[in-house]
This record gives sequence, C-alpha cells and structure tokens, in this order.
Amino acid sequence: MSASPNNAAWTLSWRLFRHEARRGELTVILLAIVLSVAAVLSLSLFSERLQSALTDRTAEFLAADRLLGSDKPVPDEWLDKAREQGLNLAQRVQMRSMVFANDELMLADVRAVDNAYPLKGTIKLADEPFGLGKPVNGLPGAGEVWLDSRLFQVLGIEKGDKVEIGEREFLVSAVISELPDGGFNVFGGDPLVLMPLKDLAATGISGPGSRTDYDYMFSGEDAALDAYYEWLEPKLDRELHYWRSVKDDDSPLGRSVRRAEQYFLLASLLAIVLASVSIAVAAQRYSHRHYDPVAIMKTLGASGAMVRKIYLLQVIFIATLGIVIGSLLGFSAQYVVAELIAEKVPVALDNWHWRPFFIAIFTGVVCAMLFSLYPLMKLFSVPPLRVLRRDLGANVGSRIIQFIAAGSAIFVLMWAYSGDLKISLILLVTGLVLAMALMAVTMGLIWLGRKLGQGRMGAWQLAWARIQRRAMDNSVQLISFAITIMLLLVVLVMRNDMVRQWQEQLPKGTPNYFMINITDQQRPVVESHFSERGLEMDKFYPVVRGRFVAINEETIRTDVTKEDDDSGRRGLGREANLTWSSTLQQENRVVAGNWHGDTQSSDKPYQVSVESKVAERLEIKLGDVLRFNIGSEVVEAEVGSLREVNWQTMQPNFFFVLEPAAMQAFSPTYITSFHLPTEQKAQLGELMSPFSTVTLFDVDARINQLRSIVSQVSLAVEFILVLVLCAGALVLVAQVQSSMDERQQELAILRTLGAKGMMIRMSVIAEFVIIGIVAGGMAAMANELALYLLQSQVFNMQTTVHWQYWLLAPITGALVVGVLGAISCWRLLSLNTSQLLRRMV
Amino acid sequence: MIRTSAITKIVNTTEGELQILQPISFDVNSGESVAIVGASGSGKSTLLGLLAGLDQVTEGEIYLDEEPLHQMDEEARARMRGEKVGFIFQSFMLVQSLTALENVMLPAEISGHPKPRQAALEALQQVGLEHRAHHYPNQLSGGEQQRVAIARAFITRPKILFADEPTGNLDAANGDKIEKLLFELNHQSGTTLVLVTHDTELASRCDRQLHMYAGTLTEDDSVQLNAEQRHVS
Ligand SMILES: Nc1ncnc2c1ncn2[C@@H]1O[C@H](COP(=O)(O)OP(=O)(O)OP(=O)(O)O)[C@@H](O)[C@H]1O
Ligand SMILES: [Mg+2]
Repeated sequence: MSASPNNAAWTLSWRLFRHEARRGELTVILLAIVLSVAAVLSLSLFSERLQSALTDRTAEFLAADRLLGSDKPVPDEWLDKAREQGLNLAQRVQMRSMVFANDELMLADVRAVDNAYPLKGTIKLADEPFGLGKPVNGLPGAGEVWLDSRLFQVLGIEKGDKVEIGEREFLVSAVISELPDGGFNVFGGDPLVLMPLKDLAATGISGPGSRTDYDYMFSGEDAALDAYYEWLEPKLDRELHYWRSVKDDDSPLGRSVRRAEQYFLLASLLAIVLASVSIAVAAQRYSHRHYDPVAIMKTLGASGAMVRKIYLLQVIFIATLGIVIGSLLGFSAQYVVAELIAEKVPVALDNWHWRPFFIAIFTGVVCAMLFSLYPLMKLFSVPPLRVLRRDLGANVGSRIIQFIAAGSAIFVLMWAYSGDLKISLILLVTGLVLAMALMAVTMGLIWLGRKLGQGRMGAWQLAWARIQRRAMDNSVQLISFAITIMLLLVVLVMRNDMVRQWQEQLPKGTPNYFMINITDQQRPVVESHFSERGLEMDKFYPVVRGRFVAINEETIRTDVTKEDDDSGRRGLGREANLTWSSTLQQENRVVAGNWHGDTQSSDKPYQVSVESKVAERLEIKLGDVLRFNIGSEVVEAEVGSLREVNWQTMQPNFFFVLEPAAMQAFSPTYITSFHLPTEQKAQLGELMSPFSTVTLFDVDARINQLRSIVSQVSLAVEFILVLVLCAGALVLVAQVQSSMDERQQELAILRTLGAKGMMIRMSVIAEFVIIGIVAGGMAAMANELALYLLQSQVFNMQTTVHWQYWLLAPITGALVVGVLGAISCWRLLSLNTSQLLRRMV
Repeated sequence: MIRTSAITKIVNTTEGELQILQPISFDVNSGESVAIVGASGSGKSTLLGLLAGLDQVTEGEIYLDEEPLHQMDEEARARMRGEKVGFIFQSFMLVQSLTALENVMLPAEISGHPKPRQAALEALQQVGLEHRAHHYPNQLSGGEQQRVAIARAFITRPKILFADEPTGNLDAANGDKIEKLLFELNHQSGTTLVLVTHDTELASRCDRQLHMYAGTLTEDDSVQLNAEQRHVS
C-alpha cells in the first residue's frame, strides 16, 4: 500500500474516481466529454470523407479539378509547368460549327478533345438516339465523331453514316447520351459533337476569326493545384483567360455542396459549444459536491498540492475515459452512417484520416480542462474551516469573470476549429445579445413575481417566490437553457430551410424532356397525344427565330465566322430565339427598368426585356432601340428592362422577351417540356414518332445526377442534426440536475416545515415550466437573429421569418424542461425528510 | 499541550469589522480533557477552529505541542493537523463517496502511514463496526457514522483530539454510546481532548470546563450552567 503522500494522491484519486463512477455521479460529466469527442470526431471524419466524395462528384461536372479557359492557345511553357508539378492535363477545344449530312445542316457545339479527356467523370453513350446511356471508357477514333441524339434526329442519320464538319468528313460512330461537362444549361446549348483533337486542324473550323475556346483541364493533389495556380496567376490576362475550380462552381450542385460543408462546420461548432456547456455545468456541480470532501481532506492534513493532485488526476481519468469512449463511439457512428449511405455515395471507408482524431482528442482535452478549470479553482480554494462553518464555500473571483472566461474559451475553440471568423462571431454576438436580453427579462420577472407573490402561498406563488429569491442563479440558468434551445433551433431550422430549398430546385415531376419546333398546327395534336398517354405538358412558349441586327441604328456583326476585325459592334453571332409574354417568367428578376407587363400604349415604342449578362456583353443599355430581322420583316423595340435569369433552372430561358403586341404578326413555333419517369424511357420513340420535325432535348440523366447528390447531402445533414440534438439534450439534463442540487436544501426545509409533497412538486415543476417558456421564447427570437445573420452572411440563402417556432419553442421548452425537472424532482422527493437532510450534509 | 495568550478573532462582515473573540488566554495540559460550553453564538466553534489550526488568529499566540500555530501558514498547519490532531464533528463529516473503511483510512493515507488498511480495520474493530467496513455513509445510521468518525480520528494516534458537539446530532442513547467510546479511547491512548458541547452530562465528564460568553472565556470548576445555557441545550 501507499507509503508516501505522493502515492496517496494517486490512490485516493483513483479510489474516488472508481466509486463516483460506479455510483453514477460522473455520468453527466463523462457523457458530456464523450459526446463532444464523439460529435467532433464523427462530424469531421464524416464530413472529410463525404466532402472528398462530393468534391469528386462535382469535379466530374467540370471533368477536372481545375480548368483554365482561354480565347487563344496558351504558351506550351504553361502546360509543361503543370506536368512538372505532377498534374494531369487534358485539352479541349470548343467552337460552334455547322454539321452537314443529307443536305441538312445544324449548328452544333463541337468539342475536340485529346486522349486524356475527361480527367473526372465518365462519358455515357446510348445505343440509339434518346436511348438509355451507359458509361464507356474511350473516345472517338481518328476520323470518327460522336454526336448528340438531336443531330441524328435533325440530320436524319444513323450510326455508321457520314457527316461533314468544315472541310472534313467524319464517320458517326456513337450516340452521346451524356458528357460530364455537358453543362446544365439545357436549353441554350447547341447539340454536342465530340471529335479527336488531332482531326481538328483538317476541318479548318477553328483558328482566327472563329470564336474558339481553348480549355485546359487539370487534376491532381489540391496542394499541387494550388501551387500551380499561384505560379500561373500573375501570367493570366483577365481579358483572355479564366480559371475555374469546383469551389467556384455556381451551379445548384456547387452551391448545395458548399452549403452542406458550411452546415457541417456550423453543426460541429454548435456540438462543441453544447458539449462545452454541459461539461461546464457538470463540472460546476461536481466541484460543488466535493466542497466537503476537500474541506475534510484538508482538515485531516492534506496539503494544497495534494488536493490539487487528487482532483487534477480525477479530471485526467475522466477526460481519458471520455476521450476513449467518445472516440470509439464517434468512429462507429460515423462508420455506420457511412456504411448506410455507401450505396449512394462512394465514401472511401478505407481511407484513414488522422486529422479528425487529433481534432477530437484536442477538443476533449481542451473542453475537459478549460471548462473544469474554474470549478476546480473554486474547489481548491475551499477552506478547511468549512468543517466547522458549513456555510463557508469557495472564494474565487466572480461569476462574471467565469462567464467572460467561458465565453472567450468557446469563441477561441470555435474560431480555431472552423477557421471562420464570421461564423464564430455571429454565434458569439447572438449569444451575447441573448444573454443580455435574458438578464433584462429576469429582472422583469422578478418585478412581476413580486406583484404575483403577494397573497396566499400556492404552488405558483411558491415558484415565483423562489425564482425571485435566486435572481442571479435563475438568470444564469435561464441563459443557459435559452442558449441551448437557441442553438438547437438554429441547427434544426437551418437544416429544414436548406433541405427545402434544395428540394424546391428539383421538385418531383421536374420536366426532364424539352421539345422545340412545335408548329401552331401541331400544338393541339401534341397536347392530345400526350394527354392520352397521361403525360402532362408544361406551358407552351411561343418562339420566333430572329436575327439581331442593330442597336440604335448602328449595325452589328452577325456573321458567325467573320474575321475578328474591330469594325462594328459585337453581335450575338447567331439567330436568337425571341419570345413574348406579358408576365415575367419564374426565376427571372428585373434588375433595371420596369417590366413591360401588358400595358399597351400606342404612343410608346414596343418594349423588350433583355437578359442582363447578354446586355452587358453586347453593351445594351436601357432605352436602346434594338432591331430584329424576322424573315423579311423588321421589328424594332426599346429596351424597357434588364432581367437576371437563373440559368440553372430546368426551364426554357430567353435572352429577349418582347411585349406581345410587337409580335402579333408572326406565327411562332412552340417550346414546351414534360416529365417522363426514367423507367418509361423506352416509350420515348413511340411518343415522339408522329412528330419527326419536333426536336427533343433529354435532360433526364442530368436531373437524376443532381437529385442523387442532393439526397446524399441531405442524409448527411440529417445525421448531424441527430448528433447535435443529443448534445443539446445532454446539456438540458446536466442543467436540470445541477439546478436540482441547489433546490435540494430548500426542499428539505420546506418538507420539514410540513409542506405537502404535492405542493412542493407542483411548485418545482411550475418553476421549471416558467423557465422553459421564457427560455424557449427568448431562444426563438435569438434564433431568428442568428439565422438571419448566418443565412444572409454565410450561407447566401434566402432569409425567412420562422413564425411557427415562436410558438413551438416556448411550448417545447416548457415541456422538455418541465418534464426533466419533474423527473429529478420526483426522485428527490421520494426520499424521506431525514434522508434528504442527510444528503445535504 | 496547548498554550494561548491573548488570542482574538476579528472578521470582516458587510457591516464592518466584528470581534468574535475578546482576548483569551488559557492552557491545556497534556492528557487533560476540557469541555468548552456556552450559549449558541458565543464563539465556541470559532475558538476550537483556532486551537485546531483550521483558522488563523487575528492577534495573540497559540502553541500546540510547543509549535507556534499563529506563525504558520495554511500548508504548515495542514501538515501539523495531519501529524498531531484528530477531529470529530457534529455532522460527522464523512466523505460520502468512500466506504466506512476508506473514510477511516483517509488520514492515515494522507500522512503516509505504511499500512493504512490494516490500521483502519483495527480502528473499526475498536468502535465495533468491522462488519460495516464496506458500507457507504448513507447506509449507516447517525450513531454508526459518528463511530466511524471516531475510528478515523484515532487511527493516526493524535496527541490531541478536537470535537465540536460530537453528540449534537444524535438521540440520547446513541449520544451516550458515543460519549463512552470517546472517553474510553481517550484514556487508552492518553490523548488530550478538547470538546465543545451543549450537553451538561458530557461536559461534566471532562476534567475541566471553560465557559464562553459573548466571546470571552471564564473558567469554572463547578459544572453549573446558568439558566440561559440550560434553555439552549
Ligand atoms: N467569518 C465570520 N463572519 C461573520 N460572523 C462570524 C464569522 N465567524 C463567526 N461569526 C459569528 O461569530 C459568532 C460565534 O460563532 P461560533 O460559530 O463560534 O458560535 P458557537 O458558540 O459555536 O455557536 P453554536 O453553539 O451555535 O455552534 C456567531 O455570531 C457567528 O455568526
Ligand atoms: Mg458551534
């Protein structure tokens, strides 16, 4: 056995730890550490794995990790440098050109690629036009091209036929179903043609005068890519070059992934905060319960150093146990979830990431140490004289200092973990605002309580009286309850908003096929043909093809392949689809001028609304008069408004929308869309056969791709929500437990004074219910502020007010806090008075 | 064993300074048993705390076994308490999360006793509780808890034992038992005993009684308590 006081500290510490653990006294503090470690570990492991999986998926849409776009070929030196850095490199030259066959011709988006293409993602080919795509490896051989389904339809060709592109003839060897970098702009795009880069020169379609894009695609390690860009950046000419990475991908997918990443971060931060709070609360309680043992040990001759050692060792035991259990739990939780969604997301389970383990252990240690430091310091300062004077407690600093210390510790932890000052600040500021508002509310309550507390002593009066008597304690409690509820609300509402907005982007039944070139006569036939087969058509948009020829009498270049001389203004380079409507389309937003509406005034010129990016490129301003040649007719219209268009939506969008009156003379063709379930793809041939002149666009694969990623991200978000809810529940339990301790003495006294058990119970429950209501209500308000800041400043989401939670939060708060209070109160009151008194000792 | 000269205690309260003890001087001889009696609030516990080195005097000198308590800091006093002093309290002061045996072992372990477990078992035997060794305090009655506390107090064979109302929380029968045990062990080990009590019976068993009245001390050999004190007890 122990012979030196040094060993005695070990023995005593270990003994206390064992007994306390067995008696369940350490459960809450241990759970808090376990949870903070488990949450941080599983969240960061999971998000690391999911993120790399998702980044890979999104990289497929770029067909690379990074892309350098240029109007001219770039110096070889640049490419050599990339290879030197160990990057993979692929080249793609893209231009618009006519494809000829059988005396038919069609403008196509021609892409000439080298053998390395695509660096990410796969090409899918179909057996026949509009058939189901299957992934393939490989590219068109020399002298071969692969074509989009639409080209087969319009040119009336089959696989094995020949087509002419520029000055060269090619063998058509496959039907393209999907290119990874095919783009989301369903409607604006021309049909795709894929050809070998080596054959491009012979066609003569590229080169000076044509608008050719030279794209260089890179893939490799992030560090190498970043290093390369650092080298490259000073050499880039903003006019000629642009650099794209998956991260600045502004597609709905890119945005979803970025938001999900931020959500992961936010949720892990909140999990840390919640776990820290429960550690602090539990440590406080733990310290308070050990005032007597410390006073006794000191009385019996234990030195200050010995007491410190005994308790620091205990913290180390608890922290170690917590970290071990937390790591195991976090790892398995993450593993199970990853396993569950492995079918949908190719998360690399075998990939071992050490970083999350370090972060988690670091968090566990920091939480355990930082948040138990102050309670421990209080504990160490307990004087031995307490054995004689029972009221003597600890004597260190004030509570305010504790709050400042804890607040800044949490802030530093959040900042260190996220590296995101903005998120950390937003959470800190709303937390502070909430705390201050709650202080004011408590004061108000005390005032109110004084009014109500007069008169007969019923359960409610007793509750009020207690609340006002312990004003400071209660405001602390109120603040911690409210902050907990607020953080839970933030995570919950954020998730709901996010998932809802994702789903709104792609609601069920989103059109996955587009038809254009429907004539006036065909329109009713198409409509009845489709409705007979139970398929719903979207709106029919009238379209007239027109050539945009002049701005304010100034003629503009219209020829596609004209020399790039600087005479005349830039034109569109092709015929435009003109439409007319008196109502603004969905996902269109007027950014300048006024929407023309259907007000027709004879004295004003016709109005046209122009898409804002085109307007910028062609230098069109409000009030300019645009001239279009439609057939042999000329239409002039004044620019009445500029529109911002969300090109990512699965709907037809137009550069020019005229007012209906301007276009009455023309007979349009129509564009429409419909939804056909993927399983019914085989029906497509039969469905379209009566309308050989109608062109079909197939975006089904694209939509499915998007949808699967969104659902994967949603699933991950769900998992995180559950974790944070657990952390929150734990905090609430810890808080109720510790506030119960404070009530113990009072209850014992009330009991001895003969108060009925029922009345005491009711008054305690009433007290918790009041606290729950106030905390819930305040939390709902603070939640609104936090969400507004987060959504507008960090997540770039639309902000909304969540009225339902203003009611829901107080009710749930009252319910949860009340029930928890009732449970622990019941336990306490089931002891008889003498047991109760003895527990106080 | 104890020598005090002109010790005073002044505490700071929100209403300014408060003198709890007027200058007090007295001696206690080795092996002697002394009872401090007096009305509630007269300063008995305060005096005991000072004598036992749990608190610091404001002025005056205290020598405990020839060691100058008044010059020592808390660390030195703690060491001295561990070596020479035993304690018994009205509210037992057992560590709730340790068993009876472990509570008894506590002072032995703190002061580096070579065989704390064996010594503790012996001590428990002396108070007749060896069969309850592995019970926790809340599984013991008040009297049993106080017997554990007595075992704990004697395990380090202290030169002097301080007791603050050792029977205060107990009924008459249990109080008698504790009283008997206390004096028995005291005689066996020749310990000096200083106890605070309201119990005239207990006080009368001591060699000497010191009367506290509003912070002052009067020595009185007759065990005659005034009406006020009887009322309180
Ligand atoms: N630190 C302090 N601050 C303020 N007052 C104190 C302090 N310590 C003691 N007192 C006061 O000094 C007086 C003496 O207290 P003490 O505990 O010594 O009385 P006591 O004789 O032991 O009473 P009882 O018989 O009730 O135990 C009391 O009025 C007490 O309130
Ligand atoms: Mg006293």
